[in-house]
Amino acid sequence: MSIKILTIDDSRTIRLIVAKAFKPFDCMVLEAENGIVGLAVASREKPDIILLDYTMPVMDGFEVLGRLRADPDLKATPVIMLTAEAGRETVIKIAQLGVRDYLIKPFKGEVLVERVGRVVDLKAQNAVAKKNKRFDDPISILVVDDKPAIPAQVRAGLSDTPWKVTSVEQANQALEYCMANEVDVVLAGLSLPNDAAFTLYQNLRSHANTASIPVFGMCVRTATAEQARAQQTGFASVINKPIDPAELKTKISRILKLETLYRYFQEQDGALVLIVPKDFHSGMAQELSTYLQGQLVNTADAGGDKLIIDLNAVETVSSPIVELILPAIQSAIKLSLRCAVVGSEAIKKQCLDYEETQAWLFAGTFEQAMAALK
Amino acid sequence: MNKQMEQIDQLTREAVKEVFETMLSMEVSPEPPSPLTPDPAGEIIGSVGFIGEATGIIYLYAGIGFARVIAGRMLGVPESEVDPGEMVTDAIGELSNMVVGYVKSRLCNSGLPCTLTIPSVVRGQQLSVEGSALLTRRIIGFRNCTHHLLAEVLLKDSTTKEL
Repeated sequence: MSIKILTIDDSRTIRLIVAKAFKPFDCMVLEAENGIVGLAVASREKPDIILLDYTMPVMDGFEVLGRLRADPDLKATPVIMLTAEAGRETVIKIAQLGVRDYLIKPFKGEVLVERVGRVVDLKAQNAVAKKNKRFDDPISILVVDDKPAIPAQVRAGLSDTPWKVTSVEQANQALEYCMANEVDVVLAGLSLPNDAAFTLYQNLRSHANTASIPVFGMCVRTATAEQARAQQTGFASVINKPIDPAELKTKISRILKLETLYRYFQEQDGALVLIVPKDFHSGMAQELSTYLQGQLVNTADAGGDKLIIDLNAVETVSSPIVELILPAIQSAIKLSLRCAVVGSEAIKKQCLDYEETQAWLFAGTFEQAMAALK
Repeated sequence: MNKQMEQIDQLTREAVKEVFETMLSMEVSPEPPSPLTPDPAGEIIGSVGFIGEATGIIYLYAGIGFARVIAGRMLGVPESEVDPGEMVTDAIGELSNMVVGYVKSRLCNSGLPCTLTIPSVVRGQQLSVEGSALLTRRIIGFRNCTHHLLAEVLLKDSTTKEL
């Protein structure tokens, strides 16, 4: 759904500048020429953010803000104040009003977009129409770090995917690259000198064609201050160094809403096959669980009566795997689906080390499982 | 008084330069004041006052032709698409507001608190502002290639009661 931005300003020029600045983004800019009209529009349209002029005839920004804060429906609406008065006292007064941010006139459109982008999630118009990619589609990842080991780790960790990893050492090179190429995700080292990762984030947000690129920060686990700052700034998430490939893949999949269903579920001869991947981890369990109930219901609806859990790719049966399979089998039984687990003798033996698995039906192959469930 | 006028003169030069660069991506440089080149479409004056420990008013004068260029640059549209009426008037009002807002903020920070008036805009032919014995006056010229702009500062003598 489009972001609604309300600009309340007595200057038509400023309202037009605001509308033009946000034209490349998937948002609706609503205009009001004074505070009274602005409050009425806000009440009717419930904007996601309000850009409020400070000095206006009829009702000034100070009074408008007071009324917004007194309205239970609007009090949480973020407000950015625009003012031509940058005196210390005015700035302190504005800050005390509880505005999210303020912008001194004159300002550049890019700065306005960047400030608003810190508060609401701006997406470029063309990004909205993009179809979600699949996990096995090519994805372009840009790594920004001045230590060559980091892009090397990312490349190695993602070598089993078709994802393309490009690296640059400096933030300005990253911005140039993103402006000239289609980039799906940026991974930026938070320890780059001169807060370069944070500057890069802000610069990416201020350009329409890069504003919606998710940016992950990278830092060591103990750099808690940097992690907190990155989250406060609006980074999609923080990836810990050294890079854990499983964590990285999961986070990228989630942020890009990659279609992963096909990785875990297949329909074969009327049976639902749940495939546990080789690199299974607890983060994946959460993702897989969100699909599971729907897949079981669809199978039962379509006349299927079997759930086969395929552990052939797995090398070690870990607790998260058992914790995934147990509720899957319980849910399947409730829907009258019969269940079997497919895997090698070694896997079967590992499973049976867990007390809860004693009642599972094991088979060496899919065909044997199908025969056993007849 | 002279010291205050010198401060406001300097701030006005900075403000016009800053506002033109930021909002219009246009460089202007100060020059000795001279009458505006006559514009058959007329002239426009934007003004905003400041009242407080420093009290005065700053006027920006331009020909309508240059004002259309200014409005077009501010709005990011070709000059031919600029409505010479309301669009130009509003843009000059906002430009004046930004220039005087810049001056006012720095006066406040230097210990001369004051508040701004709402911008006003006047259009006509061969416009000029009548001064008074109670006011100190300073005119600054600005140029961008062939375009010419004047800023006029009227400052009230702090010993007098009304502007």
